[in-house]
Amino acid sequence: MSRVAWVLLAVVVCIGLVAPFGDWERAMTVIPTEAGLGPSPGHPLGTDHLGRDVLARLQLATSAFAGPGLLACAVALVLAVPTAAVSAYRGGVLGSATRFAFTSLAAIPRFVLVLLVLSIYGDSPTTLALAVGASYVPLLGEAVYERIERLRGEEYVLASQAHGLAGGRILWVHLVWFACGRLIGRHLLALFGFYLVLETTLSYIGGFGVQEPHPSWGNMLVFEWGRRSLVDPGLLAPGIALWATLALTDWASESLGEVEHG
Amino acid sequence: MGDVLTLSGLEVRAGAEVLVHSVDLLLAAGEICALVGASGSGKSLTARAMLGLVEIDPGVTRGTLEITVGDRSYQPPMSGDFRARKRAFEGIRGAVVGYLPQDAGRALDPLRTVGRQVGHTARLAGRDDGPLPWLDKAGLQPSVAGRYPHELSGGMAQRVVIAQALARGSRFLLADEPTTGLDPAVRRPLLRELRHLADEGVGILWITHDLRATRGLADRVLVMSEGRVVESTTPDVLDSGEVSSPAARKLVDATRRIAGGRVR
Ligand SMILES: Nc1ncnc2c1ncn2[C@@H]1O[C@H](COP(=O)(O)OP(=O)(O)O)[C@@H](O)[C@H]1O
Ligand SMILES: [Mg+2]
Repeated sequence: MSRVAWVLLAVVVCIGLVAPFGDWERAMTVIPTEAGLGPSPGHPLGTDHLGRDVLARLQLATSAFAGPGLLACAVALVLAVPTAAVSAYRGGVLGSATRFAFTSLAAIPRFVLVLLVLSIYGDSPTTLALAVGASYVPLLGEAVYERIERLRGEEYVLASQAHGLAGGRILWVHLVWFACGRLIGRHLLALFGFYLVLETTLSYIGGFGVQEPHPSWGNMLVFEWGRRSLVDPGLLAPGIALWATLALTDWASESLGEVEHG
Repeated sequence: MGDVLTLSGLEVRAGAEVLVHSVDLLLAAGEICALVGASGSGKSLTARAMLGLVEIDPGVTRGTLEITVGDRSYQPPMSGDFRARKRAFEGIRGAVVGYLPQDAGRALDPLRTVGRQVGHTARLAGRDDGPLPWLDKAGLQPSVAGRYPHELSGGMAQRVVIAQALARGSRFLLADEPTTGLDPAVRRPLLRELRHLADEGVGILWITHDLRATRGLADRVLVMSEGRVVESTTPDVLDSGEVSSPAARKLVDATRRIAGGRVR
């Protein structure tokens, strides 16, 4: 059943990835005479108070988090997993040093770290994605490190070595892919959700994140807030989209639960 | 045949403490040599040293290993440079010297089915016939292939590990207490399986702490105590109680007390 969650999530992400290449006139053109309309066949979710189509803006807004969210995941994956895996498998000084680095970095709250980076390097979506991805490295790294360190001494690793399996294959295929794959997947989904919430929060706070006239679900909420009733589609739609996407990441994550083994 | 594995002067240390003192051992094709000793006497360390898998600091400090198979001869460095050792042992592990672990349940990857693991071991040996022939040889039903390790009983898990050893086709097999923790009813057939392997020409080092089990199965018995091989004899001699070293004496007496008079 959670396959449904994966499919829906993939659809949302795909929309977000292709959106920047589309023609978004309906989402961007201000038409004062059509401001604040309710739903109609021409505008299924109505228009905002500048007369822009809400449905179109809702779709375009997925590009605010899809690409950068994936980039953040890639950054965390590439920085954390190989470092943690190799140092946990080798142990010794390298292991202790890596562990120490992860722990020290983890002591700085993630949100603070991200704000710090943004205030120094600006707040383009790419910078935000890199900062969020990097800020997640200690969390993901520690999780992978801990598991591989525990499994390294297991009898089955020794047995694989004794059968003549190459060390690299044991580490990357057996320990990282088979034994940590789901763990890493769950972390990356959580990170993607975190990026979505963070981007929304920053747009909501204003001054950071995606800015008007470009839509994000966060700034769509802010922009219409107080101008219409809470149950109006123009306000309800971005809120529901946000909640539903987070629920999807959570649902998809459930399919990555650990296989039971005695 | 003439294949033979010779270990001489093995010394293993943890820091300044010597865990294994100058152990010599000879294993010929087609024989079962039992390595008997109390827990903590250094049996596992000796076996692991022969696979280059001692992960203690400094580990193996002395010793030579020489393996002759057909007209090929291997002499992997047991101590010294890590990389050279790793490279030398990678050509030996599995292909020449195999390993039968003690706790079979834990020696299988918990996340992959039995079939995939046995099939993979067969592929390591360059065989593409999948897991089924090997499971069958080890006395398991084909349906076992689809199971995960936690769905196996202790005896079945041990048979799976034996199937892996068969699929790997090692010339020598180091069996580290392969039946410890199993019911006596399961133990006998598994040990017979070892005998079959030896009869097919595999040289087996069978580690056990059960002196009684060696009778009728092992060709020779080495008794190990506190990191030393203190007695090299046969099961029949042990049975008659004619041993020279105090440590072997103690082992025989202890076994007699349990068995009520006879070593068997
Ligand atoms: N990793 C290790 N570090 C330090 N000492 C060890 C280590 N592994 C084993 N030893 C010690 O070496 C001795 C022999 O161990 P082992 O070969 O496992 O005995 P056994 O005969 O029961 O198989 C024991 O005293 C044990 O405490
Ligand atoms: Mg042992």
